[in-house]
Amino acid sequence: MSKVKTAILVVLGLIWLAPVYLLVVNASKSVDGYDAKTVWKPAGFSLFANFGDAWSKAALGDTLVATTMYSVIAPVLAVLIGSAAGYAIVVLRLKRGFLWFVFIFGGTIFPLQMILMPLFSGYANSGLYDTRTGMIIVYTAISVPFSAFVMRNFFTGIARSVFEAAVVDGGGLFRIFRSIYLPMAGSALAAIFILQATFVWNDLLLGLTLSQSDSVRPIMPALTGLQSTYGGASLPTVLAGGLLVSLPTVILFLAAQRFFSRGLALGQF
Amino acid sequence: MSNQALDRTGARKAPLFGLPAVAVVALLLYLPFLWTTYVSFTDYDGLASPVWSGLANYKAMFSDPDLIGALVNTLLWVVGMVTLPVALGLLVAVLTYGHKWGTWLRLPFLLPYAISGVAVGVIWGFVLQPDGALGQALGFFGLPGAHTGWLQAGPGNTLMMIVAVTWQAAGVNALLFVVGLQSIPAEPLEAARLDGAEGLSLFRHHLWPQLRPITTVVIGLSIVGSLKTFDVVWVMTQGGPGTSSETLALSMYKETFVLNDYGQGAAIALFLSLVTFAASILYLRYQLGDSREQG
Repeated sequence: MSKVKTAILVVLGLIWLAPVYLLVVNASKSVDGYDAKTVWKPAGFSLFANFGDAWSKAALGDTLVATTMYSVIAPVLAVLIGSAAGYAIVVLRLKRGFLWFVFIFGGTIFPLQMILMPLFSGYANSGLYDTRTGMIIVYTAISVPFSAFVMRNFFTGIARSVFEAAVVDGGGLFRIFRSIYLPMAGSALAAIFILQATFVWNDLLLGLTLSQSDSVRPIMPALTGLQSTYGGASLPTVLAGGLLVSLPTVILFLAAQRFFSRGLALGQF
Repeated sequence: MSNQALDRTGARKAPLFGLPAVAVVALLLYLPFLWTTYVSFTDYDGLASPVWSGLANYKAMFSDPDLIGALVNTLLWVVGMVTLPVALGLLVAVLTYGHKWGTWLRLPFLLPYAISGVAVGVIWGFVLQPDGALGQALGFFGLPGAHTGWLQAGPGNTLMMIVAVTWQAAGVNALLFVVGLQSIPAEPLEAARLDGAEGLSLFRHHLWPQLRPITTVVIGLSIVGSLKTFDVVWVMTQGGPGTSSETLALSMYKETFVLNDYGQGAAIALFLSLVTFAASILYLRYQLGDSREQG
């Protein structure tokens, strides 16, 4: 029985790895050496030349800088804003705190489609359209509800006496937040950060709607530009681009698997 | 300081800490939500003022052949995503659970999950090229279909894209099912094994009933996710040829930003939101209901 199980898993697993194999092999072929009739056969190794091509042709260089900025700054802001809300609701016992919590968390229930058009109009009118600030603001806003959700749960688990002792010691409310509650929440903060950074990195829809220039446009819309018109790029170049943009999230995922499964159970993604 | 005094001090300053989150969410999520809701009942091109048109945009959704097509495709996505990746995820979870090398054998299925929808589209667009990787593999094994244009006609193109997303999503579901399996108490299971239950019968009578809560969550997440299908389709076919593989999420984008029919786009968005909301409630209630029965 166990042998049958293993056999099924190995066969299925090989099928699952086949697209990854095809991606790596064909992204490594030189543009001239690529033959559409023999995609299963490896031929040569020009992966880094193709990375270079993708980099220059899709202006991936600019866009990588911008996307890295978004994927770091927006989740950090969201984590801070979300934990401040959690602190207010749980520790400081904000009046009607639960209602406010439902209000904040409710912000993620509807699909992105519901806010795209007004965001586009609003951004166009306020000068935020096609700016890095605009992108950071929208990514932060999207990440706040989940962050508040996790942090509220986390702070609920901390004994009330911690707060009482800190107040008796004469700490201000802001200092208690910064130097006692935030440091205690390290693992929760990291989990939120990783999940939201991945979300921002992989986003297509918001980037497509709210930006157009190479220096602002996030990486996923930039890659679709390379793919759809082939923007003068050959197939190995496109595939190399696809591989390049996937590496950061794959590495992050493998390094932090348990955070992902925890986030999943919370209904993120 | 007494507890009450403590609570008063806290509660007085609390709004300061809560304000940023409330403000950001209100301004960037709720306000747009309300505006879209209003626009969905109007005729609006994004330039002139919106003109009230009642339910016209909603009626169009169920009479315009292109939009009906998108509705059908979205339905296909929902049905496809609650069956294929869920069944495969369950299979992988059951086979790897308790297996000596379970964690490693699960890895190939988890890998695609870390890849973005756009990259999945790029990879599978390549695999499904006419006479491409899939065609060549079928030809090699002497199987029919080697020269099929996988993405060139509906509904076949939608089905092939469902396969692509199944490749991406099965591992996540497997992970969730493993979490579910881990929560099943070991002793009754051991007793059943001693009674001679094994294989399919063990699964049907002893594992499956206990997996119901997590199954509801997996199916709920699958429904909610499939209703929003955009990235993979946008990359692989842009909804084409014609509108043959368009989903509602794609129609929403095209109506609004390509055809400048903001009212129509808004109506599609609100419709999607309502269905998503209903699906979320359904599975959340099931989930809560189940835990109450057991607790």
